Amino acid sequence: MSKYSVIGKRVRRVDGPEKVTGNAKYTFDMVLPNMLYGKILRSPYPHAKILNIDTSQAEKLIGVKAVVTGKDTIGRKQGIWRRFPELCDEEILCRTKVRYIGDPVAAVAAIDEDIAEEALDLIEVEYEPLPAVFDPLEAIKEDALQIHDGVELNINVTRHIEWGDVDDAFRHCDYIREDQFKCSSQAHVCMETHDAVASFSYDGNLTVWTSTQSSYYIQALLAGMLDLRESDVRVIKPHTGGGFGSKFELDSAQFCASLLSMKLCRPVKIVLTREEEFTATKRRTPMYYYVKLGAKKDGTLLAKEVKAITEGGAYTAMGATALYLTGFFSSLPYKYPNYRFDGYRVYTNTAPTSAMRGFGGPQATFVGESQLDMLAEALGIDPIEIRRKNGMTPNYEVPGQAYIQSCGLQQCLEKIEAHIKERGKLPPNRGIGISAYGFMSGGIFNWFDTSYAFSAAIVRISIDGKVDLFTGACDIGQGSDTTLSMICAEELGVHLEDIRIHAADTGICPADLGAWGSRETLMNGNAVKMAAADAKRQILEFAAAKLGANIVYDLDIKDRWVHLADRPERGLSYFDIVKEVIRGKDGEVIIGRGHYTPHRKGMISPAYSFGVQAAEVEVDPDTGKYKLINVATAHESGTVINPLGIEGQLEGAIMMAAGYGFCEDQPMDAGKILNPSIADYKLIRSLDMPETKILEVDTYEPEGPFGAKEAGEGLTCPTAGAIGNAIYRAVGVRINELPITPEKVFKALREKGKQGK
Amino acid sequence: MIRDFKYFAPKTLREALALLDKYKENCKLIAGGQSLLILMRQGLVTPEYLIDIKGISELNYIKSDAKGGLRIGALTTHRTIEKSPVIQGSFDILAKMEKRLASIQTRSWGTIGGNLCHGDPAGDPAPVLIALNATLTAVSLKGKRNMAIEDFTVDYFETALKPDEILTEIQIPVIPSHIGTAYTKFNIIESDLAMVGAAVSITLASGDGICQDVRIALGAVASTPMRAKEAEAVLRGKKVTDNLLKKAGQVASTEAKPISDIQASEEYRRELVKILVYRAGKEALAKAKQT
Amino acid sequence: MKEELRLTVNGQAYELYIKPKTLLVEVLRDHLGLTGTKRGCNCGSCGACTVVLNDMAVKSCSVLALQANGGEVITIEGLANGAQLHPLQKAFLDYGAFQCGFCTSGMLMSVKALLDENPKPTTEQIKEGIDGNMCRCTGYNSIIRALTAVVKGEYKEEK
Repeated sequence: MSKYSVIGKRVRRVDGPEKVTGNAKYTFDMVLPNMLYGKILRSPYPHAKILNIDTSQAEKLIGVKAVVTGKDTIGRKQGIWRRFPELCDEEILCRTKVRYIGDPVAAVAAIDEDIAEEALDLIEVEYEPLPAVFDPLEAIKEDALQIHDGVELNINVTRHIEWGDVDDAFRHCDYIREDQFKCSSQAHVCMETHDAVASFSYDGNLTVWTSTQSSYYIQALLAGMLDLRESDVRVIKPHTGGGFGSKFELDSAQFCASLLSMKLCRPVKIVLTREEEFTATKRRTPMYYYVKLGAKKDGTLLAKEVKAITEGGAYTAMGATALYLTGFFSSLPYKYPNYRFDGYRVYTNTAPTSAMRGFGGPQATFVGESQLDMLAEALGIDPIEIRRKNGMTPNYEVPGQAYIQSCGLQQCLEKIEAHIKERGKLPPNRGIGISAYGFMSGGIFNWFDTSYAFSAAIVRISIDGKVDLFTGACDIGQGSDTTLSMICAEELGVHLEDIRIHAADTGICPADLGAWGSRETLMNGNAVKMAAADAKRQILEFAAAKLGANIVYDLDIKDRWVHLADRPERGLSYFDIVKEVIRGKDGEVIIGRGHYTPHRKGMISPAYSFGVQAAEVEVDPDTGKYKLINVATAHESGTVINPLGIEGQLEGAIMMAAGYGFCEDQPMDAGKILNPSIADYKLIRSLDMPETKILEVDTYEPEGPFGAKEAGEGLTCPTAGAIGNAIYRAVGVRINELPITPEKVFKALREKGKQGK
Repeated sequence: MIRDFKYFAPKTLREALALLDKYKENCKLIAGGQSLLILMRQGLVTPEYLIDIKGISELNYIKSDAKGGLRIGALTTHRTIEKSPVIQGSFDILAKMEKRLASIQTRSWGTIGGNLCHGDPAGDPAPVLIALNATLTAVSLKGKRNMAIEDFTVDYFETALKPDEILTEIQIPVIPSHIGTAYTKFNIIESDLAMVGAAVSITLASGDGICQDVRIALGAVASTPMRAKEAEAVLRGKKVTDNLLKKAGQVASTEAKPISDIQASEEYRRELVKILVYRAGKEALAKAKQT
Repeated sequence: MKEELRLTVNGQAYELYIKPKTLLVEVLRDHLGLTGTKRGCNCGSCGACTVVLNDMAVKSCSVLALQANGGEVITIEGLANGAQLHPLQKAFLDYGAFQCGFCTSGMLMSVKALLDENPKPTTEQIKEGIDGNMCRCTGYNSIIRALTAVVKGEYKEEK
């Protein structure tokens, strides 16, 4: 029997009824009185000076109420790495220069979308095209043009991570291999595109409803860019149709809608088209990887040296984080005594690259797991064995970087080993490949330079016992509303339906850094638990007095019953005691407060989750086409708060991660994305989705609320590597460049045939 | 953004033809609109007059003709074809092809005629109909004319229909015994358009396994769906062996005129032609031997 | 020049005057305020706009409203019976067959049309039935489990 009353149960999502009835309102659905519709004009050039913008004809069009350009801004540059001004390099509405195809130059507000679109055609922009560079390997050359003034070799960010003595260690290796990999970009393809309704009122306050992963970041960045007091900006997150990393930075819809609204004192709505979504929002960071791995002949890994050159695109965005994290994730999930990473993020004249679910992890894991399999084969060691030998274990310290408390990697390996045995002997051209990963539960870094706690929560209990939970956490589909409500209910000892969550409205909820880096469950969960515990303590104070309990007894609340922990039959109804508590407090509602900011938790994260995935593919050796038959994942995320939620996150992650390995790509020609539509950008659909098997491993993470840690983002790390390894086992060819398309497999097979291997 | 247009919804073929005749190049016909509306929303097609023929029920039918062949009204939806017991019975290859065409939603509203008139060389129906030796009828106020399906598409998204004509019917001759037809398409995502498509129909002379006739139709490897006539010549009049089928595939791959695009290189497409023609040929041969 | 459109939506008859270029999805969302039906692309690919028109699942962004003249439309708002959720909605809730929810309205209409036409689809038929609906969150398998439960009779309506 579970020791928990609420968490760990398969519950219906708290936002479920709204969503399955079509009642859930998204920013996409919002209509306000007196509202105008906005559209954005974007650069057709990858790199150009803006000589002049003539908006006069557009302004004359009947129905157009305002046109804004960079001249209407305060001329600031912004970026999410606020602590480093040199990384705040994006104006959004460009004043003098455009740096990628899609860079905004003007915006229009009109009485309907059609007129706004027509008006865009009437804006005349005089550009002076400049030479452009698209590949980071070209952009980093001595003679390459400079995309941002003063940034030499276009090197935007560098990152160095090191421990041990890699050079010495290589001298002691029995086997060393060096490999190169190329990891592709990927588009988030949220079902709801970026959108915002901005309303500036005559009292000087700006309210913005937007599809976002962090209403706080948007609030702060907007305030900075509009010269408003931060708290005069209120950002409200309605139901949000997906984020996956694309929606926690200030985007063109939010900024232009706000600018236009400020000019007119009327609400302005901007919804990006799907094409804008593909071309002019941020995307996964493509990376060139150069990796050297050394081991003893018994398979003990001694040293790993990694160099990564990433395609930054036109602006820094969150790309600096992707660079850093890929450097750290390249060391997961193994115990490397010696490790060195040097990463370079290089500006290019392409759409900026930033955060996408996995955040450098899918790239690092594809590279690491492919190379490890190659090394294992060369040494004649079983792939599970080599991972078992070197895999992280609980209470392991990564020198100078991280302290890993809970870690169920070994158990995950066991489960996958059993699964593979169960699959038995495979028919020809079929193979199972495995891939192991580790991932963070939110980051410890404060490059946003916030003075707020990273997460905070307020619990308010009314006279009838109803609990209002206020949190800045953003539910973008991953289920944080439900998970946090469950944590609150569990801690407070009430039922899930006693909790009503208010989330992500900066006007009434505490600040939260947002839904990224898989931080909500651990960080917000801790804040919520603390707030609920605070409220509970106030109730128990009164209950102790009421019950006249002996001092040796503890009190607790479970299932709406306030009682002596050791004598549960002695107690009273939660509803009754709440009334007395409020009376005792001069009629004030009960307020509990909580917060969480990681302190002294290493360089990356307070906690890490681990897993191992096995992908089974069947290859058609004549065409190179392969089918994903089955993906089994053994993973551990500490205590499972919301099992239905985690399963959903796992299967959804497979779809996205398999897509990264198999079919999703954004081919470009001179900086122009060639497939900016859902018809042309290949996405896995129901007929393409493999069977999925979930193997849970039980662990407990002391850092997390009730022992919980991340799930949902780490799971996007392993699949590309598992697919690559599976194809190798099936037909003996290895592809080091993502995505692994049938044509690449075909060419590799033909090459292999020619070489008579 | 769709530009404004004047809208007509004729209920009979006669009415529709009169409107076409009146507005000629300034108008466009819309049936299911599953392809057309995308073009109109992107501003690529901007007719002044739109003639909605979807409601012309007299063009929505599946009938057997006197000899047991098939007559399909141009406004029959893909889904109707997919689920028709008549078609599933004797023309199952058509039902199978429809099953993998786009999605159910598209198939429920889109029509076979609309698909053919869109003229996409990657479309599924055309190669299959070519392999089935189908013909079609185009009607105008001046009269009607028939032509082979393979002559219908003349270039990328361009057909042989005159501005005053409406495609009314597709005719598929009965499939006698000793004929087997197969269609296979290559794509990465199941419901995607073909990256390369091949439909093969093999007629065996009774008893001796000699190929009496053969039709090989390719999709997505030229500006129109095309017949690989040189590849056909490899098989016609010969005993069809595995090696011969491979050779036919080889010849078809040189006949094809694929391009390199973001989906695949020209070279890969040629390789796929080789393989798909061989595989479809093998399947067609097996079917021919069974009947 | 506007044309008359007569349409029954969720059992309610409407008479509207619309520009001929108006898409069915625009009539539903913008004219009738039924915002449950969403739009996710501009090329008829994502399926978020799926509604049931004359008993068929169609993409309402790819149907001119006037083509539905005289027809019967069911949108997500018409699935529940007042406060009583439809078995499909209950199954979606129990099986976690949605996350961000943006594709859910279209997904439910596709599956409604599928089950109305064939109450006992195979797993393969279920997959085909929802192949036209893009979901970026769930990986589809939970949706298939939810439908399978309905097909097996787990949600037989109380008499």
